[in-house]
Formats: sequence, C-alpha cells, structure tokens
Amino acid sequence: MLFNDIIKILTDKELLGYIFEGLGNTLILTVVAAVIGLFLGFIVAIVKISAEGNKYMKIPAVICNIYTTVFRGTPVALQLFIMIFAVFAIPGFKPYAAILTFGINSGAYVSESIRAGIASVDKGQMEAGRAVGLSWNTTMIRIILPQAIKNIIPAIGNEIIALLKETSIISMVGATVGTLTFDLNAASNTIYREIPNFLASGLIVGCFYLVIVYFLTFVIKYIERRLRASDKC
Amino acid sequence: MISVRNIYKNFGKKGEIKVLAGVSCEINKGEKVVIIGPSGSGKSTMLRCMNLLEEPTYGEVWLEGDLLTPADPYLHYNVIEASKTYQEMLIQRPQPTKEELICEIKKNDLLVKHEGKAYKQELKKVEQQYRIDINLARQKMGMVFQHFNLFNNLTVIQNLMLAPVQLKIMSKEEARQKAMGLLRRIGLEDKADMYPATLSGGQKQRIAIARALAMNPKVMLFDEPTSALDPEMVGEVLDLMKELASEGMTMVVVTHEMGFAREVADRVIFMSDGIIAEDAPPEEFFNNPKNPRLKQFLDKVL
Repeated sequence: MLFNDIIKILTDKELLGYIFEGLGNTLILTVVAAVIGLFLGFIVAIVKISAEGNKYMKIPAVICNIYTTVFRGTPVALQLFIMIFAVFAIPGFKPYAAILTFGINSGAYVSESIRAGIASVDKGQMEAGRAVGLSWNTTMIRIILPQAIKNIIPAIGNEIIALLKETSIISMVGATVGTLTFDLNAASNTIYREIPNFLASGLIVGCFYLVIVYFLTFVIKYIERRLRASDKC
Repeated sequence: MISVRNIYKNFGKKGEIKVLAGVSCEINKGEKVVIIGPSGSGKSTMLRCMNLLEEPTYGEVWLEGDLLTPADPYLHYNVIEASKTYQEMLIQRPQPTKEELICEIKKNDLLVKHEGKAYKQELKKVEQQYRIDINLARQKMGMVFQHFNLFNNLTVIQNLMLAPVQLKIMSKEEARQKAMGLLRRIGLEDKADMYPATLSGGQKQRIAIARALAMNPKVMLFDEPTSALDPEMVGEVLDLMKELASEGMTMVVVTHEMGFAREVADRVIFMSDGIIAEDAPPEEFFNNPKNPRLKQFLDKVL
C-alpha cells in the first residue's frame, strides 16, 4: 500500500513537480537566509568583540546582546508568526518576511559562533599585532580572522544545516503553490491532499532533505580538510 | 627617551586590584634597564604600560617628547590657573599617598566642574601639542613577549615583513631584504618559509626579536623573554640580547635572569608592591642593596 503510493507519487508528473518546486524554494530560502545570517552574524560578532576595548562600541554591543538574546531565546515559529502577521503584514510580502525572519534568526546563532571562534584565538596574537604598530582593524583582518576561521567553519556548517531543516516551518504559515513559501514540507502537505498517505509523501520529502544535508556535510568536511591542510600548526 | 610619570594602574571592575601605585622613571637613550621583582610586583604591567598595551589608570607616558597617554590633570597643575585651590592643595602635600592622590583627583574633577573650562582647555592644549597616535609611537618601540606571540598563520619571513609593508614603511622588496638580513644574523635563514609551530622555543623567541627589529625601533621592550623557554635554549636568546645591547640599542628588560642584569644592565630597578623600591647601577644593586625587601629577595634568588 505504502509502496504503491510512493510509486504513484514518483510517477505522477504533477505531484513530482510539487516536490521539485518545493526543493527549489527550500534551497533558495536557505541560501538567502544563510547569506543574511552570515552578514548579520559577522557584524554583530565584530561589534561585540570590539566593544571590549572601545568605549564607543559599548552601546551598539548592548543592542547586539539584546538581539542575540531575544532571537536565540524564542522559538523561530513564533518569530515567523509575529513577523508575517504583525510586523510585515503587507499583502504579498509574506515570502520575504519569512526569509528575513530566518536570516535574522540564524544571524543570532552565527554571531555567537563567530564570536567564539575569534575569542578562541590566543590573546597574545592581537597584542603582538598592536605592539608592532598595526591597528586593531589590520590585526583583526590579517592575523586574528585567518586563525579564527578554522574554528568558525564547522559551527557555521552546523548552523546552515539546522537552518535548512528549520525552513520547513514555513509550511505552517500557509504555503501555496507558485510562491516562495511553498517549500519541501509544504509540497508533502499538498501531495497528501491528492494521495492521503502521509507516510508516503513524508518519506519521499524526508529523503530529499537527507540527501541535501548529506551533501552539505560533505562540502563542509571538504572545506575543513582544506583549511587543516594549510594549517601548519 | 621613555619617561614614565607617576603611573597608577588598577584592574578589576571597580579598580579594586591595585597593581601600580605611582611609578616614575626615565629611560635614557642607549641605556639598558633591567627590571626585576617578585611575581605580582607590577613589573610586567609597568613594561606594558610603556607601549600602552595596558592603559595606565592615572599618570603619563612620554616617548621622545611625545605624549602617549591622555594628559593627567595631576601632572599639569602648575599650568592651571583656573583651579587655584587645587594647586594649593597639592603644593601643601608634595608627596600624597595613593589614596590621597586619587581622592584629590576626584575632588579635582569636582573643581573642574565648578571652576573651570579654562582648566580643561589647558589640558586639551597639552594634548594637542604633544599627544601622538599610539600606533605611530608603537612603531618606534619593539616588544618581545614571554610567549613569543609569533603570528601563527604566517611564515617566519611573513612575520617579519607584515608590519613594515602594511604600515608602508618599506616596499615589499626592501622588507624582504631586511627580513632576510635579520634572519641571517640570527642564523635562521633556512627557516624563512616555515610556520612558527614547527620551530623550537628558542628559535621562536629569536624570530620574535627579529620581528621587532624589522621595524627599526628606537627602544626594545622585553617582557620576561626567557621565562617560557627550556633551560638549554635560554642561552641563545640571552646571547642575542647581549649582542643587541652591545650595539647600543636602548633596552628595557623584565627578567629573572640575574646574571644578565649584572652583566648587561646600566641600571637595575627593583619593583615591589607596585612601586619602584630601588633603582641603582648593578654593582650597587647586587652588592649593597638598601631596600629591605630587595635584600630579602636577593637572599632568596642568589
């Protein structure tokens, strides 16, 4: 029965089309949100780190702390509802509000990964850079960040994998075919209406998630290995 | 060359940990000054205050007529006319204790609020006239750390070239030649393209010295340069430092190597509890110490 349903879905052009549309949207959502997250996270991390020695950065650092606390401290589903139905309650803006939410949410996590990565570099490196007359910025860019990146990459990889799976929450806010909010999970829900076997569509979609995540893990491992290779320590 | 004027350094959120309690000293051109003292006496902090890796809580640091720290109100009371009460207060008490001084500075802040913009302007004038960017000042001061702190992500030659090239003091080619010359001098030419992690402690420290020398500094600060080394490697680093000294480099060295102090120093400073307890030429310092704490210390270490 289950097997028949799976075959039915995989051979039906329309149903298979749903899945591929959902797959495409999931990837778009993840990539755009990840880019927003990385950008935000990097800025927030730098603000927090620089606040240690720069009194002008104290207030921005407090704001950044509130940001990470709030967005890491509340469920992303709740954030999504608030952003879509309250903050950006503009017709047609739903997909963008959703991407923004995921981006901002992941930025909070990414910022902590980057901050921890930078903090893990020996303090003496910054001192040595400053002692020869380099500015804080130059030392950060030429000395600290290249060393921190090895510690940051694995954590960011984890964050992107989590983000990819988290985008499935978007199907909760009413996803319709042909819009960006129609992700893999929404595809599974739509197929369920035609072939009422949740396990069949769920298993197929689950496989798709698994394959992408496996691929991502592979890419991250590869980057890590490349970085280790240049790491003569 | 370096003039440290009445430096106080407090650590901790409320400044409850008092590490330096009013330190003043002059380092003249070509002079080799060795600072010794028990751990926790503030000797490393004082050295780090000289190039502002630690910012003094009060007091000033001068390098060749340039002010590195903010102008300290206490040190400029003589130029301040607006705050007469404050002057009188200080003249009556030429050597205030640390607590009194801090109290006075606080009172002075109040006086500034009451009496005077003129006073603040005087301080500003001093800063405008003498204060220079710390990054510029640090180019003239080489620093060598206890834990070497070579840039781990760069090769040895890149370590030496980074600052001169980044700060546009030399072209890449000039910097490379200078760096190779320095490496040849310390006998580590063949390590130029290696990463620091593959080197021994003694090699790292000699390269760290070369890295500082690549900037053509006018003074070298050494913060316990041999304390993290295996015993058999101490010699090679000390030899290089002696060589530098004989070439007339101005040096300030925090160390536990008494032999080095005896042999190389023009002056030895003993620090204890955040103040300079004794400041004398080595013969006098070791043979005829006056300070009781120093006597105790020398009995223990010699």
